[in-house]
Amino acid sequence: MNVVLNLIINGLSTGMLIFLLASGLTLIFGLMSVLNFAHGGLFVWGAFVAVWLFDFTKSFILSMIGSIIIGMLIGWLIERFLIRPVYGNHIRQLLVTLGGMLVLVELIRIIWGSNPIRSNLPGWLEGSFQIGGVILIKYRLFVIFFGLIGYLLLILLLKKTKIGTTIRAGVDNKEMVQALGINIKNIFSFVFLIGAGMAALGGMLLAPYSGIIFADMGMQYAILAFIVVIVGGLGSIQGAIVASIIVGLAGAFTAYYFPDFSLAVNMLLLIIVLLLRPKGLYGEG
Amino acid sequence: MILKEKVNRPNLYLRIIIIAGLLIFPFFNDSRSMLILLTQIIIFAIFAMSYDILLGYTGIVSFGHCLFFGIGAYSTAIMLSTYDNTTEIFLLSIGVSSILAIVVSYFIGMLSLRLQSHFYAMLTLGFSELFFIVAEKWRSFTQGGDGFTFRVPDILRDRFTFYFFVLISLFIIFLILRLFTSSSTGKVLKAISQNEYRVEALGFHVLHYKIIASIVAGVIAAYSGLLYAVSLRFVDPSFFSIEVTLDALLMTMIGGVGTLIGPILGSGIVELFQHYLSELGTRFPIFERWTLFLGLLYIVVILVFPKGIIGTIKVGRQKIKKKRVETQLKQSIEN
Repeated sequence: MNVVLNLIINGLSTGMLIFLLASGLTLIFGLMSVLNFAHGGLFVWGAFVAVWLFDFTKSFILSMIGSIIIGMLIGWLIERFLIRPVYGNHIRQLLVTLGGMLVLVELIRIIWGSNPIRSNLPGWLEGSFQIGGVILIKYRLFVIFFGLIGYLLLILLLKKTKIGTTIRAGVDNKEMVQALGINIKNIFSFVFLIGAGMAALGGMLLAPYSGIIFADMGMQYAILAFIVVIVGGLGSIQGAIVASIIVGLAGAFTAYYFPDFSLAVNMLLLIIVLLLRPKGLYGEG
Repeated sequence: MILKEKVNRPNLYLRIIIIAGLLIFPFFNDSRSMLILLTQIIIFAIFAMSYDILLGYTGIVSFGHCLFFGIGAYSTAIMLSTYDNTTEIFLLSIGVSSILAIVVSYFIGMLSLRLQSHFYAMLTLGFSELFFIVAEKWRSFTQGGDGFTFRVPDILRDRFTFYFFVLISLFIIFLILRLFTSSSTGKVLKAISQNEYRVEALGFHVLHYKIIASIVAGVIAAYSGLLYAVSLRFVDPSFFSIEVTLDALLMTMIGGVGTLIGPILGSGIVELFQHYLSELGTRFPIFERWTLFLGLLYIVVILVFPKGIIGTIKVGRQKIKKKRVETQLKQSIEN
């Protein structure tokens, strides 16, 4: 029981981290059909900046804010200088964002070196709760809590604000929104910034979770996020959270029972979804 | 007509000079490392050409082309080390790697090519990562992350013979791909890259053609991976790493998409670039991270010269041609 409960918590917290990465990806795709392969780069930058800031300031909150700001800044640069010049050309967008990913990861290796870096937790998040003989690690619960807050804020933004309504309308029918006199490119830049910030936040939360961070981590999590985006349905936030939880749980359970197959299980999930429901769980059409 | 010949003649001479140069190069060159570098350039040229069949000729983006490269490398390495390092086994391993490449590319193609182009990019990326992990974890079969060395057939042991073997492979594959791209299938592929929906509306089964392209590209990529493994006499999971795919992407983009010469040229540029930058890296540490420079170069090429070197030259020539025709027309009107 203890093991199963802990695996569920592991799975949920990994799922939340993946969700933070995948939600931006899916919105960006839904709005502009841009599949941002540099998203994993933002994630890993978030992690490294946070660890660096934490060692420097010893403040968890400051490192969180700092990594989100850096993530948004890099996101803005990517949007402005890589994606905007090739709007409308899907192939060049795919290619150029992959180039962005490569450069971001290489820069990390240049600045922080190629070796994995240790990441520490602040005192108030260390340790675990013990409830009736079941040990619950504090930080994992914190990640789940934070992921849920992120999800709720995003839903609130999308459902209750004017810009959120415009975003949803844009995902639904881009041309119509433009015909109503709204500059979709500005909306897109905004979504890209939000997505970049969430990816950086995801990386930032991951760092103490896994204990060590390394440059290639970005690509590994990006692949999981792509799986989530396809399984959940391109452009759907609900799909993204459901698929993130499925992917997180599947990964946690296989990592415990069959450690070598954890990516294989998620690829299998992807294949099944592509065969049976290529639009994804919550995809339309 | 006269104009056309004028434009084409230097092209023809250039080709003859390059081919002759490649053929006699080893006879004048004493440096072993230079011969190995040139062999490597040719192998990657084959790999990049196969990538161009997807990217340039069909308009499919694959982020996991290393998948086939690794399949070729591992199938020959495992067969040569488990059975015997004879020529027969080597030839057999070419067959086995081709069959594996056909099966895998057909499977991935069927899953994703009927959807938007992004799916193929993601799925190939995922599968290449999966194969990377399999190569790392299935220790009894692949010897894990350390890789393993193996003995190659005696006939290919000599660097000199191997160079010619690789060079002849390049010529044959170039000719085959040329036939393929100028065949009716190749023309449909080119049409798909321009406007997929129109081709579908004309009654062609687009999925069918895309799968053919991915199979052709997969088989040739597997062959290039096989050659690379034989040239190193060693395999490890890095054959499945994203850097291999990026190499192919870079070579194709720099040389020129949608041309077969482009990837060959691109391979030469990228390999020489890597070679000299890593040499510079011994003196200036910043150049040790040459991937950064390649990445920046790659971004600049996509943003500024999306057609690559050969494509840009072609466009330039067409402009000159247009101008000539215009001036001739003007003259004839004035007369």
